[in-house]
Amino acid sequence: MPPKQNKETDDEHKFQAIVLADSFQTRFMPLTSVKPRCLLPLANVPLIEYTLEFLAQSNVVNEVYVMCCSHADQIQEYIDNSKWVTISSPFKKIQTISSKESRSVGDAMRDVDSRGLITGDFILISGDVVTNLDIAKVIEDHKKYKSNDRDYICTMVLTQASPMHRSRSIIEPACFIMDRATNRCLYYQDLPPINGKKTSVNIDPEVLEDIAEFEVNNSLIDCHVDICTAAVPTIFQENFDYQTLRSDFVKGVLGSDLLKKHIYSYITNDQYSARVESWQTYDGICQDVLERWCYPIVPERNLLEDQTYTYGSQHIYKENGVILSQSCKLQSAVVIGKDSFIGDETAVENSVIGRSCKIGANVIVENSYIWDGAIIEDGCIIKHSIIANDAIIRKNVILNPGSVIGFGVVIDENVIVPNNTRIIKQRIKNSTSSNIISSDDDDDDDEKDEHDSDDDEFDGPSKVVNELTLRDPSVVGYNGLGFLYEDDEEAQNEPSSGIVYEMAELNLSDSSLASSAITVHHTNKKKKRSHSSASGFVSEDEGESFDKEAIATVERAMENNHDLDTAMLELNTLRMSMNVTYHEVRESSCLAMIKRTNHFIETGTLGVKDAAEKIFRHWGKMFNRQVFDDADQVDLLLIIQEICYKLDEDYKALLFGCVAVVLYDIDILDDENIIAWWNSKESKKIPEIREKVAKWIEMLQEDSSEEESDDDEEEEEDEESEEE
Amino acid sequence: MSSAPSASAINAANKLEVLVEAFISKLKRRQVTGSYNVAIATCQFLMRVTSISRWNTANEFITLIREIGKRITDSQPREFAAGNIVRRVLAIVRDEINLNKTFNDNNSTNIAPVSASMFQLLITSNKEKDVGNIKINEKSDLRSIIIQGIRDLMDEIQSVHENIELMTVDLIHDNEILLTPTPGSSTVLNFLLKASLKRKFTVLITENYPNDIELCHRFAKKLADANIESVIIPDSTVFAVMSRVGKVLIGTRSVFVNGGCVTAAGVATVCECAKEHRTPVFTVAGLYKFSPCYPFDRNSLIEVGNSGKVVPYEDSDLVGKCEVTNPLYDYVSPEHIDIYITNIGGFSPNFIYRIILDNYYTNDVDLS
Repeated sequence: MPPKQNKETDDEHKFQAIVLADSFQTRFMPLTSVKPRCLLPLANVPLIEYTLEFLAQSNVVNEVYVMCCSHADQIQEYIDNSKWVTISSPFKKIQTISSKESRSVGDAMRDVDSRGLITGDFILISGDVVTNLDIAKVIEDHKKYKSNDRDYICTMVLTQASPMHRSRSIIEPACFIMDRATNRCLYYQDLPPINGKKTSVNIDPEVLEDIAEFEVNNSLIDCHVDICTAAVPTIFQENFDYQTLRSDFVKGVLGSDLLKKHIYSYITNDQYSARVESWQTYDGICQDVLERWCYPIVPERNLLEDQTYTYGSQHIYKENGVILSQSCKLQSAVVIGKDSFIGDETAVENSVIGRSCKIGANVIVENSYIWDGAIIEDGCIIKHSIIANDAIIRKNVILNPGSVIGFGVVIDENVIVPNNTRIIKQRIKNSTSSNIISSDDDDDDDEKDEHDSDDDEFDGPSKVVNELTLRDPSVVGYNGLGFLYEDDEEAQNEPSSGIVYEMAELNLSDSSLASSAITVHHTNKKKKRSHSSASGFVSEDEGESFDKEAIATVERAMENNHDLDTAMLELNTLRMSMNVTYHEVRESSCLAMIKRTNHFIETGTLGVKDAAEKIFRHWGKMFNRQVFDDADQVDLLLIIQEICYKLDEDYKALLFGCVAVVLYDIDILDDENIIAWWNSKESKKIPEIREKVAKWIEMLQEDSSEEESDDDEEEEEDEESEEE
Repeated sequence: MSSAPSASAINAANKLEVLVEAFISKLKRRQVTGSYNVAIATCQFLMRVTSISRWNTANEFITLIREIGKRITDSQPREFAAGNIVRRVLAIVRDEINLNKTFNDNNSTNIAPVSASMFQLLITSNKEKDVGNIKINEKSDLRSIIIQGIRDLMDEIQSVHENIELMTVDLIHDNEILLTPTPGSSTVLNFLLKASLKRKFTVLITENYPNDIELCHRFAKKLADANIESVIIPDSTVFAVMSRVGKVLIGTRSVFVNGGCVTAAGVATVCECAKEHRTPVFTVAGLYKFSPCYPFDRNSLIEVGNSGKVVPYEDSDLVGKCEVTNPLYDYVSPEHIDIYITNIGGFSPNFIYRIILDNYYTNDVDLS
């Protein structure tokens, strides 16, 4: 039977696939300013081919939608000229969707939903996945879950790897908690980037209730292959604040009591899957492909129509028409594209060389990726670097580990490029600091000439660049072409963004991370145990569970942007059912809000003031139903003071101040009550927090003294006695 | 093909292209694997090509098939069966042309049919029937003859096991100990199952770590279910047990014109051990596995598989720090094989070239 007919007969079992061709990240800058990430070559094949091949291999996909954002025209053009649109394509339909306004996965998913593309179950995959996964098994599981669990929405495919694995993401490490019996994912949290600091995972014990056995796992390669039901885009649509797939969507869905949806995981051990999301994973996955860990996805598979790779021993792959001089040495894991030339005495090791490259004599190439048409002249040393298309490296250049040489850059003779340097041909104009750069530019141009003439006098091979200036000749040499690319944002946030990862440093930090995750696990178990043993003291237990429940409620409300009234109603119901006082309610809501605020501040999304403003301006109104009289107001301030005091941050006093001001602004607190608090004994116990607001209090005092003369102090005393 | 720019011609060309591409990507994606499956799939594919494609003369058809064959063998050079089937089909067409020639020109004699017919005297196979069929259908369309030929070829492939099994009684004795290092071979399995009906013997099975270990267990289970005493031994003990082994029985992926063959990894060692102990090595193979190619570059015949089977991928201490290779096939040279047992009889490796000459045309060996 012809395959075409087959497809039509079992059309109802076919899946749609959404390929997220945009990464919504800038990790591959500066190269991604010219070419989208999914078209960057990995082992001389554009990345998106691996994803599409995976979908084709699965034999269950008949419609593919490629969601593009930046460089959509390039992707469109590539797809239109690829084998996937020909009549022999395994997909019945492949369509590129340009969604220019999308800024995140969430936006793209909302776009998908509003276009009404999804008609049934679909595979959600990012355009940079390399895998040899057998999707049939996952789909089997998916069907099983779907029929057994009405709340099922999605299966995540994860690969087990040891914590230090080279293809494991060190940029987006994450912790998954799974029910061992059913593989249901109970909790997800992304861990902050590894920078030597210990991190912890906070788990709500309630999540783990009724779970016989669970596992905490942070050693999974998350390749972002999800099999979803049609409910997923709707959830994105409903929760318009979801941005990322994992830290917003998965976490949000799992943490939400309202949605009550279940996400399962599929963990594979023997199959390969990884995502090219940083230079480090690019390097790792490239080596994996060459060393055949991803078999049958290997270079001689010739994913592109016109490729002619053949395998040779020691993992050396050559295309037709490669010219190797007799004395060149190809050590393990090398790919060489068509019409490339390698000169005498040149040693190439663990590297990929594209098509029509010219590599001169006595060159050393180690762990480097040289893309099509690049020229490397005699005597260069290239280690752990990427040289993009049509770049020219002149004689005796040394590229130190981590160098990225952009498209068409020329590096002049005898230049030494320092570690982790990125060089581009043209400055990127739309960067945030463009103004500064361009203004600097003019000055530089003037200076350049002088500088150059100076350089010429002692233009020796020892021209080491020490300072990272914008002056191009100092980076690429006198006759070079290109600018230094600096991305300060990235430099701060992601210390390990280079292609080379300093193993020593990383080792430490990651193992500490792993161990801390384990301790979390233990303490949690202990907690649970003590919890159950203390179940005799009903009242105590109840109080504790109210705290948690209330905090969770408020958190949920904030996270999912619930209606204020709903949240208040929920809290009130909770209060009545648990029979606790308003004091406790206030305590829990303050705790939750401050935690949320602190989260914003910690992650650096907002400043202290903005964060406090954002949360308390809106959610502070909740106190309308929690704070009734003057004593309550003082109590509220005391609670906030105490919570802030317990925060282990140096901005805690500032935070308190901001919160108090906001609450005052929205009329939760009256000035006399603030002054009452200021004078109360309890508040004086924690002087650190008070300092910041001293000025403000003074102001308030002045204001109020104008209106009411001196019954303040009497009132205070009354209140205090009332409280006690 | 597309020389005639009519819409239907273009349509037909497109259809053909879809067919070819689909088949090639199927092979590339390893959605069809194993000599038997590939052979059957190729037959079916060529049958469709024959019916869809447009051609006026037999020579045009031959060029077309050669072109397609070239693409198939280039895209998946290690599924030898596909290339063999393409060449067999070409042989069918050429036979037909020659037959017509001899029929039209009674006096002229063709060398190929004569040499073939000499061999026909020695064997009793369906080859004669083929010749007969064609004679009957000489007047009818060449297309239907070719399709019939391919159908016969498929019948031949499907009945390989039955024909090989006929020889079991002569080859296996009672209370013999057999060793098989290719538990993945269904031909070997059927051979042993058939033999167990008449004989009682023990089979030692090497475990073929890491690639075929599951196959080995399944194989042993099937034998055990048929009341054959089966023993799984580690690959490393082959030499130690060889002194007790009466015969080594191997299956192959492909047999080459020099009498050598490509088979599962590890078999070369077993054959080497067998040679040391003067233990006879029997190779069972269907005729469709016989390839007219000569194994010049032996490294290129060997598929290298997933490194993850040798060292688990999670083992980050080793990944990237040592080179791991996992060859899936081995080449066994003709000196190490005593006899080939095929569906058309048993032959010495020295005689393989003769059988290949009878079934293929030398001008089809190189498809380019």
